[in-house]
This record gives sequence, C-alpha cells and structure tokens, in this order.
Amino acid sequence: MNQTQAPTQAPSNATITAPPPQPSAPPMVQAIGVSKWFGDLVAVSDVSFSISSGVTALLGPNGAGKSTLLRIMCGLARPSNGSLTVLGTDPRSNIAVLGKIGMAPQQESLLDYLSGHEFVELAARLHNVANPHDAAWRAIQTVELDPKDSRKLSTYSKGMRQRIKLAQAIVHNPLVIALDEPLTGLDPRQRREMIALVHRLGNEGKCVIVSSHVLEEVERFGSQVLVIAQGRLAAEGDFREIRNLMDDRPLRISIRTDQPRALAVALLDRCVISGCRIDQDNLVIVDTSTPAALRRAVAPAAQDVDASLLEVRPLDDDLESVFRYLVGHG
Amino acid sequence: MNTHIYRVVIRSQVSTGRMLALAGLSGVAILLGFVARAANDPTEFATQSMGTFGTNIFAPFIALALGSAALGNLLEDRTLVYVWLRPVPRYSIATASLAAVFSVVAPTVVAVMTVSAAISGAQDIIWATAVATALAVFAYSGLFLALGLRFKRSLLVGLGYIAIWELLISRLGDWFARLSVRSYPMSILSDATGVEMRLADRSTLASYIVPLAIGVAGLVYTTWYLTRTEID
Repeated sequence: MNQTQAPTQAPSNATITAPPPQPSAPPMVQAIGVSKWFGDLVAVSDVSFSISSGVTALLGPNGAGKSTLLRIMCGLARPSNGSLTVLGTDPRSNIAVLGKIGMAPQQESLLDYLSGHEFVELAARLHNVANPHDAAWRAIQTVELDPKDSRKLSTYSKGMRQRIKLAQAIVHNPLVIALDEPLTGLDPRQRREMIALVHRLGNEGKCVIVSSHVLEEVERFGSQVLVIAQGRLAAEGDFREIRNLMDDRPLRISIRTDQPRALAVALLDRCVISGCRIDQDNLVIVDTSTPAALRRAVAPAAQDVDASLLEVRPLDDDLESVFRYLVGHG
Repeated sequence: MNTHIYRVVIRSQVSTGRMLALAGLSGVAILLGFVARAANDPTEFATQSMGTFGTNIFAPFIALALGSAALGNLLEDRTLVYVWLRPVPRYSIATASLAAVFSVVAPTVVAVMTVSAAISGAQDIIWATAVATALAVFAYSGLFLALGLRFKRSLLVGLGYIAIWELLISRLGDWFARLSVRSYPMSILSDATGVEMRLADRSTLASYIVPLAIGVAGLVYTTWYLTRTEID
C-alpha cells in the first residue's frame, strides 16, 4: 500500500480502496482474490490488497477475518481461493520465506515450561540466528522485559505474554511482521511503548501488519489501514480519510438536556439533524446524516437557548455499525 | 533431526501423571519378574508375562501417553505455531518428535522389562525381551505420534485402539493378527524361548521388519500431516 494514497471508491464491490502500489515500491505482501472458508462459513471473501514497508493496520470487528488473513500471510493456513504472496513467494509452500516473517499470534498460550529467554532463544535457534543467546537477550530488552528473569512463562502476566510474543517475532530481524491484536492486555504505558516500537520497526523499512478491532488503537498505529468486515475488504487507504468517512455516516444520537424541546428546535433550525424525538428523562433523540456538523453545532445551539448539555451519546457508534456502513457504502 | 525441537518435545512430555504411570507400570513389570522366578516353569511364565504385559500393556500404554502428547498437546494448546512458524523442514519436526518419544519410552520400558526378564532367571528370554520391547516401543511411538496429531481426543482414541483392536479384534483370526502390532514382538519372544503363544506365529523376518515399518509409517504420516494441516 502506498504511504500517501487516500482512499477512493471502487467500482465493483463497494470497497473503498487505494490505487495499486507504485512500481518503485514493490509490495511485500500481496493478496489477489483471497477467499477462505471453513465448511459453510466464509471467513474471508475475495480480498485483494498490496502492502509495502511501513505500518499497516488491519481493522475489523471480532470475527471479521483479520486473524485468518494473518494466518494465511504467515503460511499457517492456505487460501481456499486466490493467492497470497509474501516477498513474492507463497509462504505455505516455500518454508524458506518463513525466515523473513515474524508473527505474534493472538492466542495467549505459550510454551509455559520455558523461561522467557529460553522461549525467545528457541525461536532464534530455529531461525538459525547467529549467536541466538545474545539475539534473544536483545529482543527481550527491546520489548522491555528482563532477559535475566528466569521464571517460567506460566507465571507471566497477560501484558508480559504479549511482549514476549513480540520478542520471539522480531528476534530474527524479519522483513514482514504480523501482530495479531498486540495491545490486548497491555496497560496504557505499555501500549504507548508497544505503539512506539511498532512505528520504529515500520520506520526501519519493515512491513508491519497490526490487527485490531479498536478504532482508536488503529488511529495511533499509523495512517495506512485495511478495514475488514464480514470477511470482505471494506476500505483501504489512509486512515484519516476513512475516519472522515466514518464520521460522516448517518447516526442516531441521544442528547440529555434540561431543555429538550428548545434544543431540538435550535438543531432543526441549523439543519444539522434530519429528525428528532423528545423522550422521557429530558432526552432528545436526533437523527443526522452529518454527524460532524452536528458535533460542531450542538454546543453553540445549547448556548443559544440557555440549555445545559448533560450528555451527548451516539446510539449506534459500535464497531459493527461502523463496519456495516463501510461495507454498504457506495 | 532438529535437536532444539527434540528438547522442546522432551520437556513438554514430562508431567507428574505420566511419570506416575511409568513408575506404576514399571513396578508391576519388576513384580512379574519375581513371580516368574517362583513359578514352576520360569521360562514359560516369563515368556507369557513379557508378551502379555510387556508388549500388550506396558509398551503401548506408555508409548500412547507420551507419543500422543508429543505433538498432539502442542497442537491442542495452540503452541505448535511456535515451532511451525520457523523455516524448519516438516520432516525434521516429525523426526525430532519421534526421537523424543522413543528416547523417553524406550530406555525405561526396555530396561525395566529386561531387568524383569533377568529377575525371572530364564536366560533365553533376556535378549529377546530387550529386542521385542524396543521394536514394540518404536512401532507404537510412531503410531501414537501420528494419532496425537490426527485426533483431538487422541488418548481416548488410542486407548480404544489398544483395547478393541490390539486386545480383542486381533484374536479373531490370522489376518486380524497380522494387522496387530503386538503379534510381531510376541513372535520374537516365542521364537527365542520356544514357548507357544497365541498370535505369536509371524515369520522371523516379519517380526523384525514390520514393527520398524509401522514406526516409519507413523513418521511419514506425521510429516505429511504437518505439511498439509492448518495451524491455529
């Protein structure tokens, strides 16, 4: 995915997509019409994309197909249809390319009878890294764990498990790094550090693909994003553009105020809502197709009518509805 | 063979329950040696007990407990990914796993059964017990290594296989006996001591070759399965 491209409308399948990558930046990961089904369940449906170096976020609700795509990327599963290549080769049939891929899977389970250093050193040894002991030491320090810690992995907290998974994924200095929900279980400080580390890896020219189901996380990971919903590629490109698109989707918003009628009239006068309903407990339920404009207008409108704003809450701002909108958009 | 994977599999196999099972069955084997020594015909008793207990119970149950867990546990608890993600040939993973199972099961089972044979005082059976048990362990290890990958409840499936196929169906006729692992090591014991045992009428060559072939077949299947399977 080119780093500067903004999303554009796709002609066929209602996917918002960026133009193909420039010839000067050959894709490190390329998917062409990838589908994956398990019996009757379609996990991934006809997904195509190209990813170059830098950080790319794979955004989608739980069960959207993100982990399946990452598994295909790392050769853990094969596509039912289509093809996915990493560094120009199929990771499923050419195990040599696995030496250039690092993955931190989503599951928490680790080789619990090993210490952190033994676990990472094992990865280094299996990757034939020169001086695996020191490489493991450095990787563990990179994720801000203590390489001298001799405790077994079974005693590690969720956050420590996330970080040791990252350490084993980067110990062999891979070109492509797939991180499945890497911020899960981390405290705010650890999240900041993990995000900084991911950016650092991206800036080093590696292709870092990070999956998440949290919009705010993705916003912090980087500007390039693939939005997966219901197994399909719903949007692709610069996150800010996609975020704007998300912000402009029709929304139903609940506003709690001490003067609901006056505020509703004021908002109607400003043409930022398409309908409203006064509910009990001083609630105004408004429908808007311009949520960004409504957000800007609601405080001044309240001020004009001397109303106190007690609560403004979107009623359908959950991820599922955002993704449904993206899938259906266009 | 990949020694790093070998060590991981060895460590994954060690559990209190398995070690207790190993110790318990070892105790029974040693006890049988003393009982044989006190019997009227130690050779007859020792041959029967080494055949019945050693190749029908001790070797298959311990090989099942450790073999099915070797890769099966890694697959079940979703940690196989940490081996599978590396640029390591799949046959290397299978070979290291079989070696890990064999190197834990064989020394214990073979040593205990050989000591038991020595205790019995029947000289003819000592070497035959060592060879027959080692071949049985190899065959069962390969078989149960593959089984552990193939089935989710591999321990139950393996127990069912031992109880239904090896111990029951194999008695139904010669063709069923030919498809039973235990008939081959039992034939080695029978050949060595001249004691006749049910099912123990395989040819000498087959008695040595078939258990090896079964173990190798398990290894080949494990490699094939690792190449084909999708890792979660």
